[in-house]
Amino acid sequence: MSYKAPDEKDLEAMIGIVGKNYASNNKAITASYLAKSVMGLESQIPDIVVRPKYTEEIRKILIYCSAEKIAVSPISGGLSGGFACPTIKPAGVLLDLGRMNRILEIDEANRYAIVEPGVTNGGLWAYMEKYHPDWAPPIADGAPPAATVMGDAIDRGFSLYTSSVGPQGDNFMCAEIVFPNGDVVRTGSWALPFAKPFYKFGIGPDMWSFLMGSQGALGVVTKAAVKIYPHPKHKTVVAWGMSNPYDMQDLTLEVGHQEFGISHNTVMVQGGNYPLVMTRWPKDKVPHEYEFFKEIGIPEWWMNWECWAQTQEELDYVVKRINSMAEDFKKNRAKDGAAMKPWELHPKQIASRMKKPNKIAVPYSFWDAGFLFITWYTPWNECAEFAEMYNAEMEKRDIPPVMWIASIERCRQAICMPIICFDSTKDEDFEKVQDLNAVTTEYSLKRGWLNYRPDPFIHIQAYYQAGMYWKYLRAFKKLVDPNMIMHPGRLALP
Amino acid sequence: MAKTGMDRLNELKKEIFKCIHCKACRFAYSGEPSRKGIGEFKGKQGTVLYEGMVDSCPAGIEYGWEAFWNAGKIWIARSILSGDLEFTEEVRDVILPCITCGQCSAQCENKIPTVDIIESLRAACVESGVPLIDKHALVDGLVKERNNPYGGAADERFKWAKDAGLDKFVNNKDAKIAYYVGCTASYRQIEVAIATAKLFEQLGMNFTLIEDEVCCGSPFFRIGEVNTAQTLMKKNLEAFKNVKKVYFSCAGCYRTFTIDYPKWMAEGEKLPFKTQHAFELVAKLIQDKKIKFKPNAELKGKVVTYHDPCHTGRHFAIDMEQEMIKESKNLMFDSRKIKQKIDEWFEIPRIILKKLEEDVGIVFKEMYRIKLNSMCCGAGGGVRAGYPDFSLRTASLRCDEANAVGADILTTECPFCWRNLSDSNELYEHDLMVLGILQMITEYELLDILQKPTEADLLGK
Ligand SMILES: Cc1cc2nc3c(=O)[nH]c(=O)nc-3n(C[C@H](O)[C@H](O)[C@H](O)COP(=O)(O)OP(=O)(O)OC[C@H]3O[C@@H](n4cnc5c(N)ncnc54)[C@H](O)[C@@H]3O)c2cc1C
Ligand code: SF4
Ligand code: SF4
Repeated sequence: MSYKAPDEKDLEAMIGIVGKNYASNNKAITASYLAKSVMGLESQIPDIVVRPKYTEEIRKILIYCSAEKIAVSPISGGLSGGFACPTIKPAGVLLDLGRMNRILEIDEANRYAIVEPGVTNGGLWAYMEKYHPDWAPPIADGAPPAATVMGDAIDRGFSLYTSSVGPQGDNFMCAEIVFPNGDVVRTGSWALPFAKPFYKFGIGPDMWSFLMGSQGALGVVTKAAVKIYPHPKHKTVVAWGMSNPYDMQDLTLEVGHQEFGISHNTVMVQGGNYPLVMTRWPKDKVPHEYEFFKEIGIPEWWMNWECWAQTQEELDYVVKRINSMAEDFKKNRAKDGAAMKPWELHPKQIASRMKKPNKIAVPYSFWDAGFLFITWYTPWNECAEFAEMYNAEMEKRDIPPVMWIASIERCRQAICMPIICFDSTKDEDFEKVQDLNAVTTEYSLKRGWLNYRPDPFIHIQAYYQAGMYWKYLRAFKKLVDPNMIMHPGRLALP
Repeated sequence: MAKTGMDRLNELKKEIFKCIHCKACRFAYSGEPSRKGIGEFKGKQGTVLYEGMVDSCPAGIEYGWEAFWNAGKIWIARSILSGDLEFTEEVRDVILPCITCGQCSAQCENKIPTVDIIESLRAACVESGVPLIDKHALVDGLVKERNNPYGGAADERFKWAKDAGLDKFVNNKDAKIAYYVGCTASYRQIEVAIATAKLFEQLGMNFTLIEDEVCCGSPFFRIGEVNTAQTLMKKNLEAFKNVKKVYFSCAGCYRTFTIDYPKWMAEGEKLPFKTQHAFELVAKLIQDKKIKFKPNAELKGKVVTYHDPCHTGRHFAIDMEQEMIKESKNLMFDSRKIKQKIDEWFEIPRIILKKLEEDVGIVFKEMYRIKLNSMCCGAGGGVRAGYPDFSLRTASLRCDEANAVGADILTTECPFCWRNLSDSNELYEHDLMVLGILQMITEYELLDILQKPTEADLLGK
């Protein structure tokens, strides 16, 4: 597929749509959107950046670009690193949706918030705390405050409630989408002109889910309704330490298996290994041996259950149940029961774990100079195998074996996220990381594991393996994006 | 040999490549979206919710494009280093309207020295042959000709001292202590210079005003004209070489001498004297119970707030942090110490304000964004000279914040902040009184000396 490199005439057309202050091909402005980190290392500088404010402007931009065969990459917050940038050259237009930042409605009775793409996690969180303190949005748990609610929907990410209620994609009810063919489609119950966004499946079938994980490759979402959940005041974190990922996996599954009650109270269930702590500091300014971390009370592996309850009594019960299940597991079923023990967290540690949104995942560049999250989904009871395999591959390449794992929907899925800390100033480090990514992808696809946010170069094999699925994905894309202009390269499309 | 901007940019390469474009650096309190504040306030520049995190990069707020927020500039720097972008006037016009306030740096969990990077980027841009903008070229011409960017006559630098009857301190050869006045206090806010010198006099300090003093170079380090800046630096180092300690009343000059000079001096060279801001001395004398303040009926009950100048507040705090990180062997252990040191640093002006509250009866009320999260006054980074409208709008945003806490008096400790805040106060009718703390002390004759400071008090730190 070939695309046109936009020229001055195309810039004029964009200016005609959004006004001269909101479209630019200034080279410093276009370069400023670049990112080669977090999720994607390969990315291109856009040729033009456009900052629309209204759905109608987006419609006109897409119709124009489609007619001219100019690639379009949308971003809401742009925090998915390289994934927020174009993947190909000519890179075309980058649509920065940050100006569309209105919180349009909060409905406590029906429990949803309607947001535009530019509404950030931090902004919505602060707004709800101020005006709807008993309710909270399912914002990405570890993403920085400038990430958006919308971007996380399209990434079908991992949020504060997903351990309890299910994948982030399920938290979104209805959306307004502009397709490059010029159609504006409202999904779910919103398909009817006067309906509230109260039923995701609408008049059926559910079209919105098709956009989940679309990475901007199908259309531009201009409005979405996201569920909100209770924000009770009774909260704490229960943590257990262990010596290996298998005990972490199996104990967590026992709690998740309860399905009702305590499994629903544990809104955020996440764990990992001690290098998760170590690599938040510069590598020459922190001891590397586990002995040091042991001495300061950090387990080799651990699992945290962040528990929310409507009353103190209910919270106490949840804590007690998790602890007694853990004791029983330690005594009767653990691989290394002797090493298992409750991790008594300091109140400050608890408070810092419960802070939303936070910057907890930002300082992994501090270790060296750059990092990459490579995230996979596995069935929960295979996450320990994933961790073991991945960590071994990292160590082989002299990369610290940093592993973070969380439960989705009461241990139906695991989201496994190795954090690759490396020196991004060095070409050889780039190559090392890509080699690690390729080798582990091959292993993981053979095991039937899924890359969470597939990159267009390595993880893309997954689409080739899912041939029939991909055929229909292409067909749907052709329908809504006949000239294949949306974020080319994403999802192995076009 | 003098360092070039490109040398500095290359030295900073690893820091630049740490940026993950997380954009936390847009906000004050970026890690505290649930922080309680004073709620919504409708000011002269619009409505701000002083609650949780708040957009606080003046350049980003003014221009909106990603390139003007800090993260954008870091990726511009990276694009330059990797050859994806070349310096042009287009690039210059994006990297210049930044106040180098350092609010971005204070937010970065990867501890990226953003101001250093932005300044080096500008220096490299100038070296590449891209001309200065006209307004900057003008001040560059003036300083080259007259040693100050205001165009004041060089021989009138200490006219204020002579007029105020302080001429005995000019070229006072046997003093071991110097007061570096700076251009703004010498030619514009002479009340700051007079207040500071009189305070020193009242404290019995034997100090000198050195006639060979020239502009500290701050504006030129900020705008990337580092050749001019380094020439001025050399002149000052020569002029002040015989004193043991230099006091300052200007945040920018203090920062330039203390933080910039050592960075741009030749490898292994050190400042030949100690440096300190006058407010540090006053705070120490309060803590040692050597001075207190007299009651004042006019000030009693007045709501006073304090604006932390970026140059004395955040820039020092960040520099302290970077130095302590460099020295640390185990940062996990030392990070608490670093935080404590930074907290203590920001407390210094507050020691004075709290004492004024206790003795004079002012009501000291903090704005929402303070200390590391303070919002800039808009004057620095060459912005006041180059982009005066943007500069004054930013100052007005800060005055709005002072209005939001019901302040009668907005104090600060930098003549450059003072000037911008005052001008904006007038232009946008904020109805505040803008005052330097030391100026308040001398103008209202508040100083009550219990015990004269010793030589150790004056020469220490
Ligand atoms: C330090 C750090 C920690 C993180 N932790 C988490 C975490 O805990 N959980 C989690 O889920 N994620 C996490 N992330 C990932 C990040 O939160 C998500 O990628 C982010 O929520 C995406 O929001 P955004 O607005 O920045 O998306 P963007 O980067 O703007 O976009 C993401 C993708 O969606 C597309 N897109 C964006 N907006 C639209 C739109 N309106 N219409 C169509 N397509 C669009 C883009 O083209 C891109 O492919 C983390 C990221 C960082 C940097
Ligand atoms: S400078 Fe720091 S805070 Fe700002 S985007 Fe880069 S990593 Fe994030
Ligand atoms: S130094 Fe200040 S004005 Fe410049 S980018 Fe950082 S926060 Fe914005």
